[in-house]
Amino acid sequence: MRIAVIQFPGTNCEHETLVAVRDAGMDGEIFRWNRPEQELSEFDGYIVPGGFSYQDRLRAGVIASKEPVMATLKEEAAEGKPVIGICNGFQILVESGMLPGSGEIDLALAQNVMVKGGRIVRRGYYCGWTTLRHESLPRRSCGSFLLDGGALLQMPIAHAEGNLVTAKEGLIQELADEDQVIFRYCNSSGTAVDEFPVNVNGSTENIAGICNPEGNVLGMMPHPERAIFSWQLPPPGRRPPGPGPGRMVFESMRRFIEVSR
Amino acid sequence: MKIIGLADDEVDKDLRAAGIGMSVAEARSIAAVLGRDPTLPELFNYDAMWSEHCSYKSSRATLKEFLPTDGPNVVMGPVEDAGIVAIDDEWCVVISHESHNHPSQILPNEGAATGIGGIVRDVNCMGAKVVATADPLRFGDPYGPSANKVRWVAEGVVDGIWQYGDALGVPIMAGDIVFDESFDNNCLVNVVAIGVVKKDEIIRSRAPLGAGEGGYDVILVGKPTDSSGLGGVVFASEALREEEEATNRGAVQIPDPFLKNILFKANEDLFRLVREEGVEIGFKDLGGGGFTCASSEMGAAGGFGMELDLDLMHTAGEFPPEVLCIAETQERFLIISPPEHRERILEIYNKDWDLPGAAGAKASVVGKICTHDRYIVRDKGEKVIDVPIQHLTGGIRYERESKPRKIDLFEPDLVMPEDMNAVMLKLLSSPNIASREHVYRYYDTEVQGNARIRPGEADAGLIVPVRGKGFGIALAVDSNPFYGRISPYWAGATAVAEAMRNVACIGATPSTLTDCLNFGNPEKPEAFWEFREATRGLADSAKRLWLKGYPGQPVPIVSGNVSFYNEAPEGSIDPSPVVACVGIISDAEKAVTMELKEAKDRIYLIGRRYDELGGSEYYREIFNETGANVPQVRFEEERAMIHATIDAIDRGLAVSAHDISNGGLAISTSEMAIAQEVRLGLDLEIDGCGDASLSSDRLLFSESSGILLEVPANRAKELEELIRGFNLEPFDLGSVTDEAKLVIKRRGAPLIDLDLAEARDAWTSGLEEAIE
Amino acid sequence: MRINLRIWLKIPDAEAATVKNTLVRRMGFEGVIDDVRRERLYSIEADVGNPWRLVKHIVRELVNENKEECLVSIDELDLDDGYVPVKVGLHIEDGEAISAKNRLVRRLGLSAVKRVERSNIWKLYIRSDEREAVAEEIARKLLINPNKDSYEILRARARAVGMRQ
Repeated sequence: MRIAVIQFPGTNCEHETLVAVRDAGMDGEIFRWNRPEQELSEFDGYIVPGGFSYQDRLRAGVIASKEPVMATLKEEAAEGKPVIGICNGFQILVESGMLPGSGEIDLALAQNVMVKGGRIVRRGYYCGWTTLRHESLPRRSCGSFLLDGGALLQMPIAHAEGNLVTAKEGLIQELADEDQVIFRYCNSSGTAVDEFPVNVNGSTENIAGICNPEGNVLGMMPHPERAIFSWQLPPPGRRPPGPGPGRMVFESMRRFIEVSR
Repeated sequence: MKIIGLADDEVDKDLRAAGIGMSVAEARSIAAVLGRDPTLPELFNYDAMWSEHCSYKSSRATLKEFLPTDGPNVVMGPVEDAGIVAIDDEWCVVISHESHNHPSQILPNEGAATGIGGIVRDVNCMGAKVVATADPLRFGDPYGPSANKVRWVAEGVVDGIWQYGDALGVPIMAGDIVFDESFDNNCLVNVVAIGVVKKDEIIRSRAPLGAGEGGYDVILVGKPTDSSGLGGVVFASEALREEEEATNRGAVQIPDPFLKNILFKANEDLFRLVREEGVEIGFKDLGGGGFTCASSEMGAAGGFGMELDLDLMHTAGEFPPEVLCIAETQERFLIISPPEHRERILEIYNKDWDLPGAAGAKASVVGKICTHDRYIVRDKGEKVIDVPIQHLTGGIRYERESKPRKIDLFEPDLVMPEDMNAVMLKLLSSPNIASREHVYRYYDTEVQGNARIRPGEADAGLIVPVRGKGFGIALAVDSNPFYGRISPYWAGATAVAEAMRNVACIGATPSTLTDCLNFGNPEKPEAFWEFREATRGLADSAKRLWLKGYPGQPVPIVSGNVSFYNEAPEGSIDPSPVVACVGIISDAEKAVTMELKEAKDRIYLIGRRYDELGGSEYYREIFNETGANVPQVRFEEERAMIHATIDAIDRGLAVSAHDISNGGLAISTSEMAIAQEVRLGLDLEIDGCGDASLSSDRLLFSESSGILLEVPANRAKELEELIRGFNLEPFDLGSVTDEAKLVIKRRGAPLIDLDLAEARDAWTSGLEEAIE
Repeated sequence: MRINLRIWLKIPDAEAATVKNTLVRRMGFEGVIDDVRRERLYSIEADVGNPWRLVKHIVRELVNENKEECLVSIDELDLDDGYVPVKVGLHIEDGEAISAKNRLVRRLGLSAVKRVERSNIWKLYIRSDEREAVAEEIARKLLINPNKDSYEILRARARAVGMRQ
């Protein structure tokens, strides 16, 4: 089982993502953007990791979305192979039309806007830990395959543009109805309070991650690869033993590949 | 340029007209060595190489006189771009510490960003993976007469830091911010970077053995050279004048973290290639002094000469040779490597990583190493520079005059305020004590996935950078300008002591120190005295606090930087010897934070309270006074405190620890309760932890050195024994409660009875208000 | 009145170069697009008689003289000919425009500033008989994300003004 971690110029999370892939029992390698794109077909699954591809020029993710390697990735996704986009990877998948999946650009990840008590308290870049609630059913998406509905997972975010917005009427409701909303930002007891710091970036209805209708393409702003060991979770000294919650995303991918074979 | 035979005033006029900063005597000495008039490019090259920034001409003698740079764990002292100390038998930590003060005052965003850009190159070029940075920052008074400018600078600097560091993918794990009106016209932006490398994979910044005989290539990698930053080195060494800001703007470099990100990955492939092929190369970043500085220093360090051809250099346009030689275009490296590997090396940069297509950059062979001793540069077929390489890089020395500054400060006569709760809230929300969260949320602390203790959680940051290895690397910075104003010596000594205490308070053992010495104009005897005093103070601390486990051995200072001319016509900055301390903890699982852990735990103080409120937050914020009794370092006691804390954490006796600094005992205890969300409180009795004659406010707010330790009640006796074993007196202050209140009493009478939710609100809002 | 502050880089514009590169190498516009340049535009509504004193303060705050140059016009935008100007701005709330306004009003005390809008003007040098149609296509396919951005091709009026120069 081989996973390609796709690296664009400016990507900066490929190494820890590869660690997470291997830690979940899969093989993997970093796939540089200018390799012959047909070599991509040899892999069983794909991760588009975080970073600042092309330095977020024009807008986050758009320049990478036009690279030839993305055309091939779309073909592989159409075959049903799993694709997970994390942070900048999510932005790239949205700009390429792979999420929410119509092929059109139906969403934008706009600048973070932190609202508290009806007042904007901060904007833009933010790094911090969040709690995610798994919103969908088990097996709904390649990255949440092993998660129970309502499961809570601690993961960090680190981005300036994760505020999910759409101009397409009814789309948000449709995503919820089709169980395509996979993760929402919530508080430690699991309530999706629509206010900073719980809604950490102002995202519509606290949405942190979505999948395509088929479930094999998942995009999420938080970084599961930074939460694969329990020691990575804050605060030090007050955390449960064992693997970190982020590992479930990668183990889900592995299970997804196993059952789709 | 004609020098020989001209009168001094004529030479001076010609030098100034050409934009060359050196003195007439310096120019004459060059002509004498060459035996002819130097060319214009030669003069520019000497000017850059002999600048304060590149040659340390004013400071070198003092640094050599005082600073301890060697120790049993030192792998490489301050000879190249970064120092290296051993972590264990296999791994090393690489550290470098620089300033980017002047550029950041003029253009805060670009100045701060290129500061990070430069420091990470210094660490990377040793063959290391860069794993963390830290940023000690000093800004003016955000509520003073220059408030607008101060806030503009502060905002720009923070943006520059996060925009560069986050995009590059290196976590920002430590730093501090101090506001002080002496920085109104001269901010300080110091930068620290650390990396990890295996001992046998270190790459040196010098032409390797046999490079001359083998005619090794000189390969320039990165951004096409342009005129940006031209004169940046000279600029970093001269006092700022307001009207010159506009003309100085051309001297600032443009950062490109995107290109740096790609270069770092390509460099990894280069390092792998030389490992696999077993060849030795030379590798160095281009910083101050540009192409000339990097190339000539590498050649000279290897004992070789070199011949370079500017026509082979990739450039952003047509520029005269002196510009190409000394321009400070960012994101460039220089490789010295055997010709048989030329094709593969060029392929790594130009094909695999497609520098030309992805980022408009390139790798080009620009010359070769020779066995002669000349530094020769050709441009358009013509020899424009031909000088003895050791003379060019040797620099010059100045014996500067030193004269004590008359410091006219005294202890104020004060009446203790009635309402200590109000004093606490005012101090907690003051710009220098308030929580730094507003700023550090801009910093990606999580990238690379190594963060173990983050900014705000403890006195130092901690990363666990090597998978499968249990060790952690702690990083902390410190310097208090208000102490510097009273006594530069004690400012240096306390900076070292506090940086070491910070590291010890998470359980790590101080392993090495770096310094960035920020002062005014060294040509003024008082400023030079301040520099010498501060250096002496920090050296004394490093020598007398000892490397733990090696009695009598200093904690080595393996990297550093001197930044002079931090002054404007309105005055000089307060003396600022900024210190960074790296600590190692062999089992990172044992590290602790400052946050209170459990109700009923006991709180112990080590470190007696003295009448030392000179420069304190209490004097300044509440009474607008500076005072004179600056905190001193009692070396024996300080060493014992640091070592006892490390052992207490290692044995699991201390479950949280926090050092006493700004705001004294009262503020430090409250910080333990409000660092994260408020869950617990404290009930403390402080009589006895200082002389009975000390007034209660002095007990509360004295900034004498000390450490607070939280210990489970059933292990308190063990902790007391451990502390006594170090000849220290343990003060049992009281206990952790499950009520969100800070109660501090003396002889049973409450001095402070503070609602901690209110305290946290005050503490978390202060910084944003100051820089918004 | 409306103060138009146009700002462009005097150092190479990596963003414009990347856009051009993407159009040519990835999106099939080779031979169609000759060059892409970019300006930032602040449109500032101000309640003031003689604007030029105010303009001096605004320029000092919003323009980074180390790397940028600017041109100010009142009310009309004086654009040159030779390219198709595509103005791209946010149709959702623009945080950077709000913070620019806050800096001008709160920090610098320029109370005459009533409103700040921010956009990019993409100057597309197009070789085609249907330059505006090509510009439309480029705007839709690359320059905007319709869920947050809108675009406007600044047509004849603006360019007529430019030609009056």
